[in-house]
Amino acid sequence: MAPGVTAQLVGPLWRTLPWRALAAAGTLGLLVAAGPLATGAEPAPWQTLLVLRGVALIGALGLVFLLDDPARHLTAPVPAPRPVRQALRVALVAPMAVLWWTAVLLLSHSASRPPAGAVSLEAAAVGVLALAVAALAVRLTDEASPGPFVAAALLLIAVLAPLLAPEGWALFVQADDPRWPAGHDRWALLLAVAAVVGALCGPEPLGRGARRLSRAGAPG
Amino acid sequence: MSAVLVAEPAPVQAPLRDRGARAVLALARFEARRLLLSIPVLIAFAAYVAWIVWRTRTSWDGSPALQDADRATQSMPMLVGLAVLLYANYAVVRSERHGTEPHFSMLVLRPWRRTAAHALSVVPAALLTAVCVAGQFTWEAFKPGAIGHGSPAELAVGPLTVLVFGELGVLLGRLARRWAFAAPLLVVVLLFAFVLGASPGDTNGRSWLAPVVSEIGPDTLPSDLLGRPAAWHALYLSGVALCIAVLAVVVAGGRSAAVRSGLALGLAAAVTGGVLQAQGATPSPELTAARERASVRPELTCTEHGRSKYCAFPEWGPRTDAWAGVVDHVQSLAGGPAHDRPLVVRQRIDARYGPAADSAIPALTDAHQVTVGTAWGGNRVPEFSSAVAAVLVAGTEAAGSEICDGRMVTVMWLSLSWQDDPMAALRRVRLDDSVKGSAIVLSPTDPLSMTEGQTDVVRHLLEKPPAGVGTRVKEHWAELTAPGVTTARVAELLGVAKPGKADSCEE
Amino acid sequence: MTSMTPTVSASGLSLHYGRTRALDDVSLRLSPGVTGLLGPNGAGKTTLLRVLATAVPADRGAFTVLGHDPASARGRQEVRRRLGYLPQTPGFHPDFTAFEFVDYVAILKELADRRERHREVRRVLEEVDLGDARGRRIKKLSGGMRQRVALAAALVGDPGFLVLDEPTVGLDPEQRMRFRELIAGAGEGRTVLLSTHQTEDVAMLCHRVIVMAAGAVRFDGTPAELTARAAGRVWSSTEKDPGAKAGWRTGTGSFRNVGDPPPGAEPAEPTLEDGYLLVLDGADTEVAA
Repeated sequence: MAPGVTAQLVGPLWRTLPWRALAAAGTLGLLVAAGPLATGAEPAPWQTLLVLRGVALIGALGLVFLLDDPARHLTAPVPAPRPVRQALRVALVAPMAVLWWTAVLLLSHSASRPPAGAVSLEAAAVGVLALAVAALAVRLTDEASPGPFVAAALLLIAVLAPLLAPEGWALFVQADDPRWPAGHDRWALLLAVAAVVGALCGPEPLGRGARRLSRAGAPG
Repeated sequence: MSAVLVAEPAPVQAPLRDRGARAVLALARFEARRLLLSIPVLIAFAAYVAWIVWRTRTSWDGSPALQDADRATQSMPMLVGLAVLLYANYAVVRSERHGTEPHFSMLVLRPWRRTAAHALSVVPAALLTAVCVAGQFTWEAFKPGAIGHGSPAELAVGPLTVLVFGELGVLLGRLARRWAFAAPLLVVVLLFAFVLGASPGDTNGRSWLAPVVSEIGPDTLPSDLLGRPAAWHALYLSGVALCIAVLAVVVAGGRSAAVRSGLALGLAAAVTGGVLQAQGATPSPELTAARERASVRPELTCTEHGRSKYCAFPEWGPRTDAWAGVVDHVQSLAGGPAHDRPLVVRQRIDARYGPAADSAIPALTDAHQVTVGTAWGGNRVPEFSSAVAAVLVAGTEAAGSEICDGRMVTVMWLSLSWQDDPMAALRRVRLDDSVKGSAIVLSPTDPLSMTEGQTDVVRHLLEKPPAGVGTRVKEHWAELTAPGVTTARVAELLGVAKPGKADSCEE
Repeated sequence: MTSMTPTVSASGLSLHYGRTRALDDVSLRLSPGVTGLLGPNGAGKTTLLRVLATAVPADRGAFTVLGHDPASARGRQEVRRRLGYLPQTPGFHPDFTAFEFVDYVAILKELADRRERHREVRRVLEEVDLGDARGRRIKKLSGGMRQRVALAAALVGDPGFLVLDEPTVGLDPEQRMRFRELIAGAGEGRTVLLSTHQTEDVAMLCHRVIVMAAGAVRFDGTPAELTARAAGRVWSSTEKDPGAKAGWRTGTGSFRNVGDPPPGAEPAEPTLEDGYLLVLDGADTEVAA
């Protein structure tokens, strides 16, 4: 790919981001997070944690639409490779996501808030997991906008994981639980695995012959 | 205008007036089939059925009170409802998503009728849920230990929840036809608001606006003391479902008389149900008085089995046989006057704080009276057995709960030795599930306590053949049940090794 | 042909999108058989089809289909009951099978009785030669097969008036030939209005042809009459004739020119396309009766 193209891509990609989904998820997340503040309720720590986990899931549901590309069949044969385009999309959204999550933490009930770092790790893991599932869907199917299916899959994971995940993994424990730190080591692991899976799904699949050809034709 | 001179082709004809309505039903059937065969709904139902089987096999230790079993069917259908919401929404926005809407919207069946068909397509999923609920409840009802009465209104809540959630999906699809992300976001909000329960714990009029108000406490109440506005709640849910469904049709452009009357009916049902359930959520003075009466001086029905009398709330009548079985077992092991002493078993509850409250019942001070609770099966059996043994040994429940000397060994041996697996029963009856060291022993009223030494002696006794120990118990009954007898002496009388540690009241 | 009783008759149809005149006082009468609708992109063909298919109402003018006037809600329903429409870009639900998709459209056409409807759906799928593929999901079908699914959806319920908007676009020659057979079959006993860019389609299929440009009807007559417009206005030459309205070198090396021939030109056999080009050129705006 010619140098400078990446910079040129930023503008068009910025316009193709799923703004409505991101805005809806972001607004809803902030509203939910600000609920206790607005109503003057005094939530228990477990309730604040539940709200924060819910908001993280809402944010992740906005992210599953990030890799949808209605023009996918048009953009497939362009020289700017898909991983670059996908990475650019993520990079464009990431700062906003961080700002948003900071706002969510600030809006949540401060007295009952669980450790911010650990909860942020959970949120990051869920967000990256959403992107990884989306990347997987893009990679495995020919669907231009797999967003709704990915959202359904993520919801299914969100409902079944607390029910089916082994108790010993301690992913969904409360902050006062002694297994909280160990659980968050596993969250970090999950984050890493999801990131790797998402990154591996980026490149468009090449047939064997195509790979040989591309190697032969690659500039020295 | 030119006259029609060409013979019209005769397509599949039906009387024109009801063709639209019949097409709506045909479309509803088509969409219902796709909905029930869609992946999220299939997974949800598979998980739901698996949960029913897994749970109902062991629920309530085989002795369910049906006025609790009906409420226990309510929470899981919410997950099915969320899956139905997701797919119903997807079905509504499908033609927008795939670009068929411009074509379909100009076909004969008008868009609002199509929306009506989508609203109807949710009904079979609700009916299937009703079948699952009925299966779960019938299973409970056919268990040999089942007592009490279920409420159809409580049973209707699960299917109605599925209906409400499904209609929400349809309405959302009409409102946000290009927003494929709207339904998942709504699912998360509903999931966290209702299923995982970020809502406050105590129930008031407003909390009854949620689809499911479970209020499951540790103790069962007689069904007339529950004080749950279940019928109004079912009416409220039906009204809400109808309202949402008709609203979706209105959004799609339906303005017919049937639509308007449906909206009015739905609103009326939802508002009536909502208001009356809010009133019913705070106990009426009559209910409070009845609960007070049932807690302090209940009107019990008494029956006699053998020498003893068993007084229970009418709904628990069938269970007196099971209680009598335990009493007979324990008494047959006792010696002296206790062997033939008539006992009075009284069922007691504390209903004053509603069905969700966990309230302790104080021990009886009247001689030869034993308390039994409303739950049965599992750990409740050895707990009741211990209470019977304590009364036989100490005379009253209150005295039994204060035993600290060697009599505790006799109590526990009487309580446990007749059971199928005495050592397991010992483990279950102790609060910390141990068979070594000191521990609290649960009973229907005030708990008993065992020292480490008493535990050792009881364990040794339970390891010996019950017949030999039984003879010694009857032989030495008077000394074994005399207040102040030491555990060491009891061990000596019953022929097992003396314990290392002293009794608690000897310290 | 025009003496046959009209099944569709329209008079003075006009439709404006802002300042654009999409339809400008269009009057026509259609009778059973296939009528071709030719015209360049933007001529208003699709708009006319959408108006006749009751998808959009006209600003002015009126029309009837099989005796029903769509100006009233009831009349529009009656028209829609007798209408089969194949849009220019038909959407598909990729997860549906061919059968399910046509069945779905059949329900939307208020074919309520399930057994009769299923029989009808199987019939039209056989008719478009998809009997064996009816259980396959649409996303697995080729473009030509999808187009046939869309035609089956238009045909289901045996409509008296069939509106086809460029049904042969994107088909290979063999598929197009097959489609012509289907359309010709569909035109037996019912009125078909076929919008197309393929003059061969019109020449081979249609008993009548309408040429539109800039929202107005430029020609309305038989294909032979349209071809006749070019009689004596097509000639061959060794060099491109500067006076020709169109000219191109053919495979044989000589130039084929359309327009006003110079004296002594060597005349060539005119085709329908030549007539069409000449009509569009505006040299000839009168409408054949």
